[in-house]
Amino acid sequence: MLKNYLLIAWRIALQRKLFTVINLLCISLTLLVLLVLTALLENTFAPTGVEGKSPRMLQIVTMVSLNEEKGNFRHGPLGYKVITDYIKPLPSAELVAAVSMPESTAVYQQGRITDLLLRRADAAYWQILDFEVLAGRVPNAEDVAAGRFVLVLNQSTATQLFGEQSAVGQQLNVGGQQFTVIGVVADVLQLNSFADMWAPISTYPSSDYQHQLWGNFSALILTRSAADFPALRQELATAIEGFQFDDPVMWQEVKIWADSKLEFFARMLLQNQTEPESGAASLLLLISLLMLLFMLLPALNLVNLNTGRMLERSTEIGVRKAFGASRQQLIGQFLVENLLLCSVGGLLGLAMAAATLELIEQSGVIPYLQVEINLTVFALGMLISMVFGLLSGIIPAWRIAKLDPVHALKGARR
Amino acid sequence: MIKLSAISKNYQTDKVQTRALDNINLQVQAGEFVSIMGPSGCGKSTLLNIIGLLDRPASGQIEINGQLLGKYSDSQVAKLRNQTFGFIFQSFHLINELRVIDNVELPLLYRKMPAAERRAKAKAALEKVGLTARMEHFPNQLSGGQQQRVAIARAMVGEPQILLADEPTGNLDSQMGAEVMSQLLALNQAGTTIVMVTHNEQEAKHSNRIVRVFDGQLVQ
Repeated sequence: MLKNYLLIAWRIALQRKLFTVINLLCISLTLLVLLVLTALLENTFAPTGVEGKSPRMLQIVTMVSLNEEKGNFRHGPLGYKVITDYIKPLPSAELVAAVSMPESTAVYQQGRITDLLLRRADAAYWQILDFEVLAGRVPNAEDVAAGRFVLVLNQSTATQLFGEQSAVGQQLNVGGQQFTVIGVVADVLQLNSFADMWAPISTYPSSDYQHQLWGNFSALILTRSAADFPALRQELATAIEGFQFDDPVMWQEVKIWADSKLEFFARMLLQNQTEPESGAASLLLLISLLMLLFMLLPALNLVNLNTGRMLERSTEIGVRKAFGASRQQLIGQFLVENLLLCSVGGLLGLAMAAATLELIEQSGVIPYLQVEINLTVFALGMLISMVFGLLSGIIPAWRIAKLDPVHALKGARR
Repeated sequence: MIKLSAISKNYQTDKVQTRALDNINLQVQAGEFVSIMGPSGCGKSTLLNIIGLLDRPASGQIEINGQLLGKYSDSQVAKLRNQTFGFIFQSFHLINELRVIDNVELPLLYRKMPAAERRAKAKAALEKVGLTARMEHFPNQLSGGQQQRVAIARAMVGEPQILLADEPTGNLDSQMGAEVMSQLLALNQAGTTIVMVTHNEQEAKHSNRIVRVFDGQLVQ
């Protein structure tokens, strides 16, 4: 029976070319937008590449200080002292890394000044993140302990600064400090690894950062498994109960949340800075609803198109009913037809999304973006196509299937 | 085999109600060939549609094979249509997007039957109407007479007990009409009960009994 349904769907699609083209365009353009969005989300949150350990990794990017009596509120990145005094000692943490936010820094080279993003990190940073080393090496504990002025560049920066020459061993003046390039890593665009170059944390011009509660750092915490997250969060809550403020009159309470990547984005977008709940579930629900809403508008358009197209086949419906097709079987037939069309539209949408992502990558609008339509995105794309097919097919199919056979045989549309 | 008791049917058009059938009582025995005749608009096709469960009466009872049809669900009625009736329509109603063989196979799609068996039965039905050579063609590649023979093959492929034909020769010239009639007579002789609506007295004479309808009522 399925073969018969597919056969007739295929022939009708070929016969009514204009309708088929409109339908496919409607589906594939909707899918294009949704798939580009899905691919970007997947690239951001999926535990692959440099942040492949993210399923057992938490990050603390900001903290909040409060004094409710005085109405004081401060929210910003961590100081290094918070990481060393309160986060590194947490028993459930296997490794804790301190890394600065990417800072725009002037690089002087052969009379040229280039502004590049620099991070300074400790040795644990290079152990937690899995950078792909293309040449040389990354800093180790000795480099950090000794305060060696060694520098790692990403591939694009190495090419930008040194062209075809090997970057390793080259000298570079970064923000007035002289560094030796010791390694080149692949370009990455991820929350904790995005930068143009990296230096040991100990190369700051001053050691003042070591004594500051507020600063420009974030902490990456690697646990043995995700099962340790609740214990770690509890330990963190206990640790900051005794938080020593620089100015205890100004501040009474501190709030620090160890979040997964999704939780971090949710907390940032939904402004849940003072509550333990990041709002990740709400964010996911919101994204799903928005995607559904985005699908709903073209789906409604397709409902009208489909109804018109199916009603043109009322005689066929009458014949099928006369020869024993039940309402459910007819609904099934028209849904299969619509799902087939949507699958083709989905594949077209996937191809268009891949081309669009390639264009975005090539354009450099988003630096270091490397997104591809992998199996997960493909599966999601096809799932979205199916949902779209059901949304746009079920109402017309139901209307058609309840046609009275006598009227249907006469070609009547009601 | 078929028993209609006090069947009435009304049609509502705008604010006017038309009585299409009025207190019809009719019995058709197994193996009979009954022709329904009457002027246009007298209710012949409505009667045929009610017998074939394509339409529901406003009042009255229908018995098929001794089974009284009351509040049957859509799927029960669909199953009964599939297993008991075969339909032949004046304008053939073949599905143009499907090949001849797929058209003939259509009633079997709604039975639990392996694809190979369906195909074999459809081929056998086409062989009976002499159209095996045309099975890969599409309906619009055939003449009117050939299309109606395909329709007969489709009606017969499921071996229904009752064949309902609504002016089966109405759109055919006399030679093709005669061919179709001979096919129907052969089916009847093989044991199939046939109820046929026709305007043609000559064709009706081939049947065992003629039922005449006038203004929605049976007349003797």
